[in-house]
Amino acid sequence: MGFKIAVVGDQDTVTGFALAGATYTHIYTTKEEALAKLGEFLASDEIGLVLITHRIVEELGYEFRRMMRAKRLLPLVLRISDKTGYVSKVDELREIIKRTVGAEIMVKREGS
Amino acid sequence: MSADRLIKLELSKLNVHLPERRPSLREALSSARPQVVARDGSTHAFKREELEFLAGLLPEADRDKLQLPILIALEPKLGRGTARISGEAEVKVVSQVLEKEASAGELLIYRPEVAILRKKLPTTTQYLFLW
Amino acid sequence: MAALAVSPTRMELLKLRQRVGLAQRGHDLLKEKMDALVIEFFEVLRRIQEARMKALEQLSVAHRALSMCFAIVGTLETKQASKETRRELQVEISTRHIMGIAVPAVEVREVERNALVRGYGLHMTSSVLDEASREFERALKLLIELAELEGSAFALARELEKTKRRVNALEYILIPRLKEALKFIMMRLDEMERENFSRLKRIKAMLEERG
Repeated sequence: MGFKIAVVGDQDTVTGFALAGATYTHIYTTKEEALAKLGEFLASDEIGLVLITHRIVEELGYEFRRMMRAKRLLPLVLRISDKTGYVSKVDELREIIKRTVGAEIMVKREGS
Repeated sequence: MSADRLIKLELSKLNVHLPERRPSLREALSSARPQVVARDGSTHAFKREELEFLAGLLPEADRDKLQLPILIALEPKLGRGTARISGEAEVKVVSQVLEKEASAGELLIYRPEVAILRKKLPTTTQYLFLW
Repeated sequence: MAALAVSPTRMELLKLRQRVGLAQRGHDLLKEKMDALVIEFFEVLRRIQEARMKALEQLSVAHRALSMCFAIVGTLETKQASKETRRELQVEISTRHIMGIAVPAVEVREVERNALVRGYGLHMTSSVLDEASREFERALKLLIELAELEGSAFALARELEKTKRRVNALEYILIPRLKEALKFIMMRLDEMERENFSRLKRIKAMLEERG
């Protein structure tokens, strides 16, 4: 099935991806607005991918994580860097590994 | 007690990703959309480049013998992390991919080798859980 | 640990032995599944690292091209163009299964377009604008691939978490409880046998005395 793309970001990020053909965009102003918009994007059956900058994800904090846990498989949500190249220090996937299988896995990984 | 039912349920779900019927490499190669239907109803597609890679490892005559996906059988009684590859043609390709000495009809491989195999043949191999 | 309520009979002993066997089998197999999931997970993680590096690099190239465009074409004009351009890009997303776990499979059709297809007014045509668009299209293509991999990794991680919980429940709760109950029954049965034996001996002695 064909899905559209949405972007939540600063002015530059949104302008760039709009030029590349992204259908839905939201330029960040306040946390409340961004959360509402993101909620809308996540509920849409039309959207397959939501791009959002790391900086905004950090602004949204706990609510963002809660939304990610509650969401369905689609749309996929991908965090991206902004113009300054900013990327969170927290790597969500590594956190999950540590939490779930922890040291056992890390050791195994060195071994294989 | 429902704990037993839960375990039985888990066990019954272990192999639902496997197809009812495994086509031969020759069949897969000649299909426009090489894929199989799993017991849970999902479809599993083979990548053409992988099929061609496999064909390159086998003499022409063996293309009917190799059944796909190749099963990586995990069996606790073999020891944790040990897997069995069965079938003459299957053993032939896997031993070549892993650069292992081929034995007749059966090959035991270990966790790091399973990882390599899965990396090189992501769509044409699948896990089978046995007990 | 709460003991299981069991009556000390041979029948119960047999049943318990079967339950321990089942629990042990479940445990061992789920542990194999966990190991297999770990292999799959780390392969995806490895590919993510590669894809992420490529995508983020391209994204910074795109931002540089956009800054250039802002400077030469003008910020307002560039924004205007971004509103006028055709924004109907579609990605094909279906699901694929890894060991029965649904993971996203994304098909990226050609994302790059030529200036005419992009559709911003021709009065705006400018090579820097085209270049900024093209670089963002390239970045988008790489990001779509990355999104598929990250989606797969999260799905695998969730299954891993679930499997780990089951393995732990078996290993630290159910199996020890069953074994405890097994030990209890065997002890009671032994005791009962000994009691029986000594009772028989007493009876025998009594009979002999009378005889």
